[in-house]
Amino acid sequence: MTGAKQTAVITPFDEMSGEGGPRATHAALHRALEFVGPLSLAERARQRDAYLDRHGITFTLGERERPLPMDLVPRLITGEEWTRIEQGVVQRLRALEHFLADVYGSGQVLKEQIIPRSLVTSSTHFHRQAWGIEPPNGVRIHVSGIDLIRDEQGEFRVLEDNLRNPSGVSYVLENRRTLAHVLPEVFTNYQVRSVNEYPEKLLEALRAAAPVDVDDPTVVILTPGVHNSAHYEHAFLARHMGVELVEGRDLYCRDSTVYMRTTSGPRPVHVIYRRIDDDFLDPVHLRPDSVLGVPGLINAARAGKVSIANAIGNGVADDKAVYSYVPDLIRYYLGEEPVLPNVDTYDLTNIEQREHVFANIERMVIKPSDGSGGYGLVMGPSATEREIVDVIAAVNADPRGWIAQPVVTFSTCPTVLEDGSIEPRHVDLRPFAVNDGKNVFVLPGGLSRVALPKGSLVVNSSQGGGSKDTWVLDDTAPRSAAPSINVPRLTVVDTDIPERADAPISHDDRIVQQERQQQQSLLCVNQEGRASC
Amino acid sequence: MLSRIAESFFWLGRYLERAEATARMLAEHHQLLVEDQSVSDDVACAVLLDALSLPHESIATGHDLVRTVVGTELLPSTVVGAVSAARDNARAIRDSLSGDIFEALNSAHLDLSRGLALSGSPGVALYKVLERLLVVNGVIDWTMPRDEAYRFMGIGKELERIDMIGRLLAVRHDQLWPTAGPLATLRAAGALSAFLRTGAPINGEEVRNFLVLDATFPRSMRSCAADAEDAVRYLDRLGVGDGGALLREVGMLRSSLEYATHPTAANVDRLASEARLAAVRASDEVNRAFFRQHGTIIWSH
Repeated sequence: MTGAKQTAVITPFDEMSGEGGPRATHAALHRALEFVGPLSLAERARQRDAYLDRHGITFTLGERERPLPMDLVPRLITGEEWTRIEQGVVQRLRALEHFLADVYGSGQVLKEQIIPRSLVTSSTHFHRQAWGIEPPNGVRIHVSGIDLIRDEQGEFRVLEDNLRNPSGVSYVLENRRTLAHVLPEVFTNYQVRSVNEYPEKLLEALRAAAPVDVDDPTVVILTPGVHNSAHYEHAFLARHMGVELVEGRDLYCRDSTVYMRTTSGPRPVHVIYRRIDDDFLDPVHLRPDSVLGVPGLINAARAGKVSIANAIGNGVADDKAVYSYVPDLIRYYLGEEPVLPNVDTYDLTNIEQREHVFANIERMVIKPSDGSGGYGLVMGPSATEREIVDVIAAVNADPRGWIAQPVVTFSTCPTVLEDGSIEPRHVDLRPFAVNDGKNVFVLPGGLSRVALPKGSLVVNSSQGGGSKDTWVLDDTAPRSAAPSINVPRLTVVDTDIPERADAPISHDDRIVQQERQQQQSLLCVNQEGRASC
Repeated sequence: MLSRIAESFFWLGRYLERAEATARMLAEHHQLLVEDQSVSDDVACAVLLDALSLPHESIATGHDLVRTVVGTELLPSTVVGAVSAARDNARAIRDSLSGDIFEALNSAHLDLSRGLALSGSPGVALYKVLERLLVVNGVIDWTMPRDEAYRFMGIGKELERIDMIGRLLAVRHDQLWPTAGPLATLRAAGALSAFLRTGAPINGEEVRNFLVLDATFPRSMRSCAADAEDAVRYLDRLGVGDGGALLREVGMLRSSLEYATHPTAANVDRLASEARLAAVRASDEVNRAFFRQHGTIIWSH
C-alpha cells in the first residue's frame, strides 16, 4: 500500500558553494584544495589512514576494530552561526534539565499536561529507580550531544537529542590533530577555535558533580570494556583527564560507598562517569543478568555517597517521541522561544497523523523512538516494498515505539573520494556540551558526521558514516603579531650549542693522511705508521 | 678504554638525544602553528629558533621553519646535522658497537640525507624521522652491555636532555598559545601522558614544574641529573679518570632539584636556568676528567 509515487526534487544546501562558486568564507579553503590537487589528496588520504591506524584511533564495528573514516576537507562554521548554535544548545539543555528534575521529582509538567503522562511513563528509558535521587549540584545531563542538521534553506535544526552516553568527542580532538598533521595547507588563512579544552572542562564538571562533603573527589570512567565500540574514546578521555578507567569488576559497594580495588587496598570513588547503559548499571535494581555493572550502585547514589554522570533515566528526555514536545518544554520552563527549531515529527499514537504518514511514506523516515546509532531506521524514499510493509506492521503493533519525520535533505559539504576527486556529501553536526552546574560549555566545533555513500542521508558511524574536522572560525579576533609584545623572553641562558670540538672524523690533514694509509696498504705491505703518537 | 672511544660514545649519546628532542620540538611546534593561527608566523618561528640558538633573519613561514630546523649536515644543532654528527661518532667506534646500532643509525642518516624529513607534510615526515631514531634507541637499549662505554653515552644523553628541556621551556608555548601551548610543551617532551597521570591542572607553570622537578619522569631535569650522577658514580667506582669535580657538579645539580622547596614560578625558572649552566660546566668537566687528562701534546723542535 503506497500512495502515488511523488519524489519531489529538493536541492540540498551546499555549505561550500553558493550560486556563483565558493562562498566567501570557503574561498581560501577552495584555493588550498585546488593547490594540493587530486593526486596529492589521494596520497594524503593514505597518510591519514596510516596515521589513524598507527595511533589506534578506532571504533569497533562488529568484531573488527577500524579507524573512523575522517574526510580531508574540513567543515567550516562561522562565528555568527556558531553563536546561534551555542545559544540554542544551552537553551535546550536548560529546559531538558528542568524537565528531568520535574519528572523524577514533583511531576509538575505532567500535572499541567504540557506533555502526556503516558508518553513519559511508557518510555523504555523512564526508570522509576531514579525517582528521588537528587544530584548534588542539580545536574543530570553532564555531557550531551544534540544532533543538528541544516535544512534546504541552510537553517540549523535539531534532529535528535542525545542525553545518555553521546560518543564521538574524542574524534573531534583527534580529527583536528590528524588534519593538521597530514594536510596543513588547508589551515592557511583560517583562525580556528581550539578544541583542546574539552577534557579539562569535562573533568571540572565531573568534579563539580561530586557529593557535597567531598573536598578532593576521585573521578573514574566506567567502561563496558575493550569490546565496546567506543572503547577508544573511553581510554582517550581517561588518559586526557588523568583519571582511572575502570570496569564494573574493579568496583564494589559496601555500606552505600563505592570503592575501587587498588594495589594499596580499597579506595573510595566519588564520581562515576559511566559509559554503560542504564540497564546494566546495577544488577540489584536493573537488569539482574548484568555483568558490567556494580551491585549496590543505585543505593549508593541514593544515599548521596557517589554521583553518577550522566544521571540514570535521562533517556526519558531524549526519547524521540518526547523530542517533539521539547519546544513546548522550552516555552514552559524558560518562557523563551526555541532558538533552534525541531524537524517536524509525527506522533504515531495519534491515528490521524499515523494515517498521514502511511499515505506519504515514500517521503518519510521512520525511526524507533528509543533507538540510537541509526539501527532500525527506515528511509521511505530508498526502502524496498518489503521493508515498508514490515515497518507499517511494526508501527501498527506498537505505535508508541516509533516516530516519523519527513525526509529532510540536509546540507552537503565537499568530500574527498578515493581517487582524490571531490564531491558533495550530506553532513550533520553533533556539538558536545558539558554542564558543571554553573555554566554550560559548548565545545566549539563538534563532530560533523558525513554520509559517505553518494546520496545517502544516514551518517551514523555504525552505518558507514565518516567524520569531518569541524572548524568554528574565530572571526572576532583578527590575526596579529600582538602577543609578541608581551612575551617575556626568559631565555636567560644563551649558551652556545655544544659541539664536539675534536670531530671524530676530522675534516683536515688527518683525512688525507688516513686515506693515504689505506691506498698504500693496497699497494704494499703497510709500513710502520708514523702519524700517531 | 681509549679516551677517543669514550669521547665518541659521549657525543653519540648527546647527538642522538639532540636529534630526537629537536625533531619532536619542531613537529609539535609546527602542529601548533597550523592548528592555531592566532599568533603570526614570524613570531611563532622566532621563539623556536631563538630557543634552539639558530639564526632567523629570513624565516617568515612554517615552511621555512621546518626547512631551517631540519637543517643540514653542517649544523649539528639541526635534525639532519645532529643525526649526521651522531653517525660520524658511531662510525669512528664502529668496532665497539653492535652491528644493529650502526646499521639503524646509518640508514636513518642516509634516508635523512635523501630528504626523508622534508618529504610531504611536515608532520608526517617528522614522525618518520622520530620512528627511525626510536629504533636506534631501542637497539641501543637491548644490545649494549652496561659497561663503561654505556656510561659515557649515558652521561652525554642526560646532559643533553637537561639542555634540551631547558631550551623547550625557553620557548614558552603557554605565553603565545594559552590553551594549546602547555599541551604542546608536554608533547614535545613526550611527557603528556605522564603529566596527565599526576592530575595537576594543565597550565604553563605546572608543566614547567613537572619538566624540571618531577621525580619519576625520565626526561625531567631532576631525573636526568640523578641518572647522570649514577653514571658518574659508576665510573668513579671503576676508578676511571679523575671524576671528583664532575661528581660534585652533577651531585649538586641533582640535590638542588631534588630538595627544591616550595617551587614558585620564578624559583623553577631560576632552577631550570641554573641546571642548564650546570650541564654546560659538567660537560666541560667530562672533557677535562676523561678525554683531555694529559693535555694536548705539542710537538716542538
